Amino acid sequence: MGRLYERLCEDLRCLEGLKSCMNCGVCTAICPSAEFYRYDPRKICDTVQRADDESIEQLLKSDTIWYCGECMSCKTRCPRGNTPGLLIMALRKLSQEMGYFTDSEKGRQQFAIRRVIGDSILTTGYCMRPILVNPANHPEQGPVWEWVYNNLPEVMDKVGANYLKDGPGALRRIAPEVLSEINQIFQVTGGQDFFQLIEEFSKDKADEMCLDAGELGGDNAYFSEVYTKNSGNHH
Amino acid sequence: MNKTIVIVGGGPAGLEAAAALGSSPHHVLILEKEHNTGGKLKNWHHLFPNFADASEILKSLEKSLPLNNSEIKYDCDVFKMEQMDGNLLVSLKSGEKIKADAVLLATGFDLFDAYKKEEYGHGIYKNVITSSELEGMFVNNSFPDQLKDGLPKKIAMVHCVGSRDKKAGNMHCSKLCCITGVKQAIELRKYLSKSSVYNFYMDLRMYGQHFEELYQEAQEDYGVNFIRGRVSEIAEISDGKLQVKAEDTLSGRPMKMIFDLVVLLIGMTPATSAASIAQSLALPKSGSGFLAPVHQHISANETCIPGLFLAGTCREPLSLQESITDARAAALKIIEWLKLKDNH
Ligand SMILES: Cc1cc2nc3c(=O)[nH]c(=O)nc-3n(C[C@H](O)[C@H](O)[C@H](O)COP(=O)(O)OP(=O)(O)OC[C@H]3O[C@@H](n4cnc5c(N)ncnc54)[C@H](O)[C@@H]3O)c2cc1C
Ligand code: SF4
Ligand code: SF4
Ligand code: SF4
Repeated sequence: MGRLYERLCEDLRCLEGLKSCMNCGVCTAICPSAEFYRYDPRKICDTVQRADDESIEQLLKSDTIWYCGECMSCKTRCPRGNTPGLLIMALRKLSQEMGYFTDSEKGRQQFAIRRVIGDSILTTGYCMRPILVNPANHPEQGPVWEWVYNNLPEVMDKVGANYLKDGPGALRRIAPEVLSEINQIFQVTGGQDFFQLIEEFSKDKADEMCLDAGELGGDNAYFSEVYTKNSGNHH
Repeated sequence: MNKTIVIVGGGPAGLEAAAALGSSPHHVLILEKEHNTGGKLKNWHHLFPNFADASEILKSLEKSLPLNNSEIKYDCDVFKMEQMDGNLLVSLKSGEKIKADAVLLATGFDLFDAYKKEEYGHGIYKNVITSSELEGMFVNNSFPDQLKDGLPKKIAMVHCVGSRDKKAGNMHCSKLCCITGVKQAIELRKYLSKSSVYNFYMDLRMYGQHFEELYQEAQEDYGVNFIRGRVSEIAEISDGKLQVKAEDTLSGRPMKMIFDLVVLLIGMTPATSAASIAQSLALPKSGSGFLAPVHQHISANETCIPGLFLAGTCREPLSLQESITDARAAALKIIEWLKLKDNH
């Protein structure tokens, strides 16, 4: 038993997510990510319950914990009442707090998520907005999306959204007082500090890789690196 | 002085206890809720670990019933008991009450209702059957036609159905379904010679005499395959074929395989027919819900109610051999207790 294991045990999601695992493999058999990635939630449970800090550290620095889609299918089936998906949430949090996430390709993507979704929440009140799905970064969306993207205001009008305007309706502009409330919530609950932590660890990593991370947004070399890099070793 | 001993349940444990009490001067009355004795044994074909004919064994159990001092009453469903002046008053569903100096509960077990594990599709897909139903097919030679067309078949045996499962409400291991799975895999290989059989297991609990040997035989002589992974779900695809999902935990990869037949190795659960009796006497239950003896190690057949004894699978999952040995042990305890009672 060691330091990392003890810290994991302070997280309610670890306590709830892993009571005892008998290595039956039901979670892996039902897991959509395991079907796609080289990923095995059963092994993660087993690693954690061995309480060996060295293996836990390896896990926190690996791509593995970032493959989970947090769909919670595993919760429905575990014969021991575990929820590997919850355990993985706790592992991710610890990886973020320790800065270990910058050691893996999938972990480094935390930076992009923080810059795109994190900023979007604080500045607009929305996690995701259509404008963030730039066709240049998302070729998988195809030519129809590119057309929608280039004609957003008109398309939004057509589908009845109140796009970026005041008053009620889908995709409306969030009122400034509401936005300031959201910002305060992130301040008080430690969300802002958490974002800051991801920024700092990521910038250190960017320095180490001799890439510029900029101060804001995705228009920098480190962002492009973490956003587009694919070693092809994930399956 | 001659006393009345009531045995509730005429399964293997109840029959054997009656036989063992035959040498005593007491009157033994077996109350059986069905039209015939034998309990689950009358549904089985050949028994592990040596493929003995179940009907022969049942016959010999029934033959050893002493004629002089024992009596069987059928269609007698016991549902309640109360303590009365050092005796037990046994109530039947019919309203009849019987006074007993001692009572032996030999109420047995229930088979786990596989439909409760909805993700395995029993009662939904026709080619998903239980181990108990498979025994019935062997007994009555009633295999479905699609299995008998002479073509190679793939068959999956799913271990731990309704056992070792918090979601099913049963944390205990049913102890016998592993060896039943091995036995039935061999029987299927013999019966459908072109078939291939895959057992999906977590641990193989080969605890008994000749169990491990049978497992080895299954592998070496019958080519039965063993995959270490618990099945997560079963879905019907086309032509009644079934897709089984599990992780091969030894290679660490999830897998999907297609089968013609899936046999669910259902576990043993506490008998619901004993629930109201236990309730009427506030009889404690073990963690898994079986009737609890007063002491697990040294008085496994005695209860906290004076004059009330347990035998067989009403107290925990047991094989036939163990149930029978257990019944003899209980009989001895009853005789000892009645002697003590006489001396007071
Ligand atoms: C699928 C399967 C296959 C098995 N195969 C084998 C095998 O090959 N070899 C082996 O050694 N063991 C085998 N077993 C185990 C074997 O069936 C049991 O050990 C044996 O049946 C236990 O006997 P019992 O008398 O305790 O209970 P049961 O067989 O359950 O008999 C209980 C009797 O009590 C009666 N009863 C219950 N409640 C009441 C009531 N309230 N009033 C009156 N009567 C009542 C019932 O009607 C029944 O007749 C198998 C078990 C399973 C599940
Ligand atoms: S929550 Fe994660 S581990 Fe669980 S089934 Fe979904 S993807 Fe798999
Ligand atoms: S389903 Fe539960 S017990 Fe089975 S391997 Fe996964 S976490 Fe462990
Ligand atoms: S005996 Fe085997 S199949 Fe039955 S519950 Fe125990 S481990 Fe599972």
